[in-house]
Amino acid sequence: VNTVLRLLMVFAFAVFAAGAHAHKASDSYLQLDAGDKSLNVRWDIALRDLDAALILDANDDGRLTWAEVKAAWPRIETYAMARLTIAGCPLRLSSTALERRNDGAYAVMFLTSDCALAASPTITYSLLREIDPTHRGIAKIQRAGQPTVLSMLDPAHAATDAAAAAVPQAPTAAGGFVREGVLHILTGYDHVLFLLCLLLPSVMRRTPAGWRPVDTLAQAVWPVIGIVSAFTVAHSITLALAATQVVSLSPAFIEPAIAVTIILAALDNVWPIFPVRRVVVTFCFGLIHGFGFAGVLAELNLPTADFAWALLQFNVGLELGQLLIVVSVTALLFLLRQRSQYRGLVIRGGSMAAMVVGALWLIERTANVAILPM
Amino acid sequence: MRQPLLILVLAALLATSLPSRAEPIVPTRDDEVVDVLPAIKGGRAEERRLRQQLAQQPRDPALAVGVAQRYLAQAHELGDPRFAGMAMAALSGWTDATTMPDEVLLMRATLQQYLHEFDASAASLQQLLGRSSGPARPQAWLTLATVRRVQGRYAESDAAARLVARAGVALHAQACLAENAALRGEVASARTTFKALLADPRHPAATRAWLTTSLAELEQRAGSASAADTAYQAALKLDDDGYTTLAYADFLIEQKRPAQALALLKTQVRSDAVLLRLAIAGTQAGASTAAADAAEMRERIALANERPDAQVFHGREQAMFALAVDRDAKRAWELARGNVVRQREPLDLLVLAQAARAQRDPAAVQEARRVTNDIGLRDQRIEGVL
Repeated sequence: VNTVLRLLMVFAFAVFAAGAHAHKASDSYLQLDAGDKSLNVRWDIALRDLDAALILDANDDGRLTWAEVKAAWPRIETYAMARLTIAGCPLRLSSTALERRNDGAYAVMFLTSDCALAASPTITYSLLREIDPTHRGIAKIQRAGQPTVLSMLDPAHAATDAAAAAVPQAPTAAGGFVREGVLHILTGYDHVLFLLCLLLPSVMRRTPAGWRPVDTLAQAVWPVIGIVSAFTVAHSITLALAATQVVSLSPAFIEPAIAVTIILAALDNVWPIFPVRRVVVTFCFGLIHGFGFAGVLAELNLPTADFAWALLQFNVGLELGQLLIVVSVTALLFLLRQRSQYRGLVIRGGSMAAMVVGALWLIERTANVAILPM
Repeated sequence: MRQPLLILVLAALLATSLPSRAEPIVPTRDDEVVDVLPAIKGGRAEERRLRQQLAQQPRDPALAVGVAQRYLAQAHELGDPRFAGMAMAALSGWTDATTMPDEVLLMRATLQQYLHEFDASAASLQQLLGRSSGPARPQAWLTLATVRRVQGRYAESDAAARLVARAGVALHAQACLAENAALRGEVASARTTFKALLADPRHPAATRAWLTTSLAELEQRAGSASAADTAYQAALKLDDDGYTTLAYADFLIEQKRPAQALALLKTQVRSDAVLLRLAIAGTQAGASTAAADAAEMRERIALANERPDAQVFHGREQAMFALAVDRDAKRAWELARGNVVRQREPLDLLVLAQAARAQRDPAAVQEARRVTNDIGLRDQRIEGVL
């Protein structure tokens, strides 16, 4: 019994609380129901906002009575109707109502039009433009058999293309995901380090007597192309698998595994450990890195509608960034290859350094501590 | 299941099952009150008069800034963002920042800061500071220092604070630099500076209150709970402004003293920020009011989120609610993470760290640690969590 009583009290509180004004930004709500040859619009505007524009509170006592609202109603209609147009759909007022929402009372207008709403209707909305530039119209557009399209109408913009303003929007315009891809590889230090480990010996060839510099650029370029292609194909496969959620692996496993690939690739430069060709190893390791890329992809909130397209853009960005690194590093290494210190300093020293960093990353990512500044 | 928890769950269910589209109003009498408008400081008639005057002279800088100032004060007091929008509208006599008078541009930057448009605010201030000279400059540097600090850009905040000093406002410059130093973990020197500034009896009470609050926050971040408590109480005695009240409430909640937090908040206007703390402290205390406060806050959040960009303004509060009341670590993490893109005060980073820890995700913890380190923030509370 006690519980029931307390519950009743809670319920009473909740109802009472809903009566108090919530503090939110000013919004009006438009519900557009589009049929084949007709359009019905329901438009809710806060009385509080209308008072700011039209002074409904005639006696300035802060209380809006029904008489005051009734007297102001023709002005409300004129004011509102002049501030909303939908291209191709002349609107007429069919009926009105008052409604209580959590943040106060709203005037409701039911509008109709005998028109077929365009696929991406142009809505001109300027309500409260001179009163509150942070005001927005929140439009929900409903068509039979289609998902609701949500659109934000900004009075500061003369006309809104409802399709273009639809939310959720793709976070960036066309090409935005390409940029994200480039950024990710250029600022993803672990992927860059892995690539560097693979590239360090590319201007040398392995002979029984150890590393020897190649003679021509072509001798360096072909292995580089082979390795980069293997890496690309492999990480594209796992990126696609992870992005479409066919396969999903925990970052708790992937992140340390990426560190291991760096350690092993660096180790192999100093002391051959791989029983198979580097291209094969690169392919296998590339599979792991692809899952790493996918982790970022999840954060980007790719649009579900154009998912494949966005994924492709992201991957193209990754490849462009990768190409940038590969070309500049290979060119630099090729120029340096005849230096007597190349083998000792660049390959051995560079690989050792990569191993150390890889090992520290491995510790960080498994023991969950911060050692490196990045 | 413990009873308070049961009630909380049931109340949540009730709240979500209540139609958010509320009922139609069918008035029966002419004198029936259909809506109550928020109280206006100085009276409704005076507000109307000022607005009519402004409509006739929309490009009178003193009038426009005065009206905007009144609305902004109203927004602060009630925690009501509509007034910030109306304040912005008071400045609409100028459309182009390049031709805005200094004081109008400064007001616009202040409003943009309130609306969490920090980059836009900094741009307005830089536009103003790019001009040759003017009396608005010290305040502009000071606001810029604040905006940069909120963004977690301490070096830029320092640079702006030093220019406050050059403009001849030594007290503010010193306090500003000490605040940044304290955030970076140079606690002892910052503490000395604040205490030295407070020892000067010439400062008015409002200034002393603000300095004391800064000192309290420093002690709180340094993990000196009793020193922080003393400083907060002293600050509130000098001036019980909304900011300090909320900060002290957060401190009390952190110290697991929810009953005192509730007592402190009960007298405040139920803005979103206040209601949020009431819900959190109530949940912590198992108070009988907790379920109702939580339900109301949840409803306000749902309402605000009808606008897709609501989390820009509400990210911190929504993350705190998800973490402390809904115990939804995943959602808290997403919100906290979205929030720190723009807003990087210690509380934002603390919530991020707590959400990461609650998720039990090493990658999230790592990320929270990285963001905190990137900023250069040192905060015992965050270090304790991570």
